[in-house]
Amino acid sequence: MFLIMRYIAKLLKALASEASPAQIAGGVILGMIIGLTPLSSPHNLIILVLILIFKVNFGMAILSFTIFSGIAYLADPLFHSFGTYLLELESMQETWTSMYNNEWWAFTNFYNTVVMGSFVSALILSGPMFPLVMYGVVQYREHIHAKVQKWKIVQAFKGTKFYTIYQTVSRVRG
Amino acid sequence: MRIWGIIVVLILAGISFAATYFITDEWVEEQIEYQASVINEAKVEVDGLVFDLMNLHLRWDRLQVTNPNSTMENTFETGETEFQVEFWPLVLASKVIVNNMQVTGFELATERETDGAFEVPEEETDAEPGFLYGVVNQVSSQAQQNAEVRFTDARDDLNVDSLMAKVNIQSPQKIDSLRKGVEKTYSKWDSTFKNTNVRKEIAQVETTVNAIKPKEIKQPKQLVEAIENVQKLRKQVDSLKTRAETIKQEFEQDYGTTREDLSQVDDWIRADYQRALSVAKLPDLDVQNIGKALFGSNLLGDYAAYLEYVAIAREYGSRLVGAEDSTEEIPRYEGIDYHFTDKYDLPGFWFKNIELSGRTKSDVEISGMVTGISSSQKKTGEPVKFEVGGRDENEVRLSLNGEFNYLEEEPRESFTLAYEGFTLSKARFSGSDLLPYELSSGKGDVSVNLSIIDKRIDSRIDYLARDISFDFASAGQPKNRLERLVRDAIGSTDRIDVSALVDNVDGPLRVRVRSNVDDLFMNALRQTVSQELENARRKIEAEVQQRVEGRKEQLAEFKRKKEEEIQQRYEELQSQIEEKVQLVEDKKKELEERKKELESSLKDEIKDRIGIDFK
Repeated sequence: MFLIMRYIAKLLKALASEASPAQIAGGVILGMIIGLTPLSSPHNLIILVLILIFKVNFGMAILSFTIFSGIAYLADPLFHSFGTYLLELESMQETWTSMYNNEWWAFTNFYNTVVMGSFVSALILSGPMFPLVMYGVVQYREHIHAKVQKWKIVQAFKGTKFYTIYQTVSRVRG
Repeated sequence: MRIWGIIVVLILAGISFAATYFITDEWVEEQIEYQASVINEAKVEVDGLVFDLMNLHLRWDRLQVTNPNSTMENTFETGETEFQVEFWPLVLASKVIVNNMQVTGFELATERETDGAFEVPEEETDAEPGFLYGVVNQVSSQAQQNAEVRFTDARDDLNVDSLMAKVNIQSPQKIDSLRKGVEKTYSKWDSTFKNTNVRKEIAQVETTVNAIKPKEIKQPKQLVEAIENVQKLRKQVDSLKTRAETIKQEFEQDYGTTREDLSQVDDWIRADYQRALSVAKLPDLDVQNIGKALFGSNLLGDYAAYLEYVAIAREYGSRLVGAEDSTEEIPRYEGIDYHFTDKYDLPGFWFKNIELSGRTKSDVEISGMVTGISSSQKKTGEPVKFEVGGRDENEVRLSLNGEFNYLEEEPRESFTLAYEGFTLSKARFSGSDLLPYELSSGKGDVSVNLSIIDKRIDSRIDYLARDISFDFASAGQPKNRLERLVRDAIGSTDRIDVSALVDNVDGPLRVRVRSNVDDLFMNALRQTVSQELENARRKIEAEVQQRVEGRKEQLAEFKRKKEEEIQQRYEELQSQIEEKVQLVEDKKKELEERKKELESSLKDEIKDRIGIDFK
């Protein structure tokens, strides 16, 4: 419960922060890629570096990673099937073989069904997800944020000691 | 762009670099020593290891591989050694691939300063193929036996009683034990025949048959019932007959086993006799045995040592093959890897070329190449090949070439060793009491050819001693006629040529040793100790026979009597059954006749009443 509340608070805080919708969407997309693909895959190191050096929202990236890791656990058989389909595509065999023979490509583990299936799925999802998240953030800030602040549950939550401590910690962390 | 983000990335990169730099050589050394010791089942120690993680370059000052069968000795050790591990196979597939390795200071069978015993953790132990070690033991045991043969000890006044006190004559106890077994078997069958249900059923059949009185049957219905009953009784008697025959067959089978046991008695007596001969150390005067007794101890001892190295190689080979991953599991979240080419299908480790240099125990500098050492020859497609050779300042030459091939189902090992030109001065050529003289001069050549395919061994060792002269002077005057004859015989030769052949190509393992001086020794022995040996042999045989005398015959007689008794019981049972068969058949006939009588009287009655004749 504490964990869920913390995530909701983080989400609401990020949505209402000064971060631009593109930064929030960027965080969600990059966190999603790490979350959907096997964590130990070498490409995730590159995504992590991208999160660190680009001005994407860090909190949203972590939140997105957490949520999509759970989804990935359930979607794993689908990723495996999709990866199998891609790796067995007749027209791609020559490409896969030459990639496999190149050590740098081989290092990415692209030849694994789950890595391939989940990574391509994440890339496909990124296309519509990025504008959708941006649109969602704008809509939230314009129409929903003020209403949410008036919700009794939010008022009650803000009145708790936990929220006070959370705010203090957040301020200290910057 | 986030400045602090770039800083974090740089810091992380710096930490990683520092970690690779500060990974201690001790940690890598410990890991190598532990894993290698598990495979070797005895300590493997590395001294002065330096590991450069950036270049994957490894070097050490000294490596000691303990002999697991003698932990105060190293199977081999090396001096300074260095090699570089290939980067991609290690990163992509955790495979250790080494193209070139330089090994210096290689030495076989060196002494250890400390005990190299290593307790292998239970979960790491593995089964080992023991065939070659079995052969090593057999050959070593032959070498030991040959070393113990004393031709000059043969005496006419052999004390058989004191000899027999040392020999454990086992035949009498074994015969007694067999007799008890026979008694037990026969009492079991005696009881079976006595208490079988067949007897009770025979009595029941008799009572039932006797109760049927055909003359008293007046009604056709009663008659039909009686006939049906008799038919049932006939079936019952047939079944009794079958059961009795089954009991007899089982008995005969059991009896057969006892008969086989009885035939072993002669083997037991022979074994006792051989044991007594062995304790008395009486040699067999045969040309083949002369060769073994003269040179077997030295030659076969060396042979066992060579074979032990092959056994070690095969043992390591089988352990490493066992360690290779054979089946690929499909864990749920890990998916399946598609291998588009066999580029990364490499063995766990593969040392392609090893440049070797070192020295032998006799200080011959050697150098050469060993190629294809891997954890899976099937993956590399290459057997282990070695070609090592060298010579010293005195022109002593050594060469060793061979191949350990585990590419196919049957493991194959073959090698040839040539060691030529070593000095025989001050050497004693043979461990036998027939040739107790040192050589004052001479050169020796040894060549070994060994080929093993799975469990088939074919090998030959040739030993040539040339330009030799024996130092009879320091041995003093001949002590007996035999010594004088031997000196005369070998004093005239300057060359001794010995061959040992060990093979199991045509059956069990054969060890043969022949030399060009066998006949000379044979003649000398025939002229001297032959008669004494024969007398001693006869005495021992007579003593063994006396100790077991009569026991075998008594046992056979006992068995025959018991068997007759059982046979009698069976015949009695069989005759009772036959009697009952006859009784049932007679009753059936009586009933058939009675049936005819009743039919006839019935027809007469019909004729009298309605005037129709059915006859």
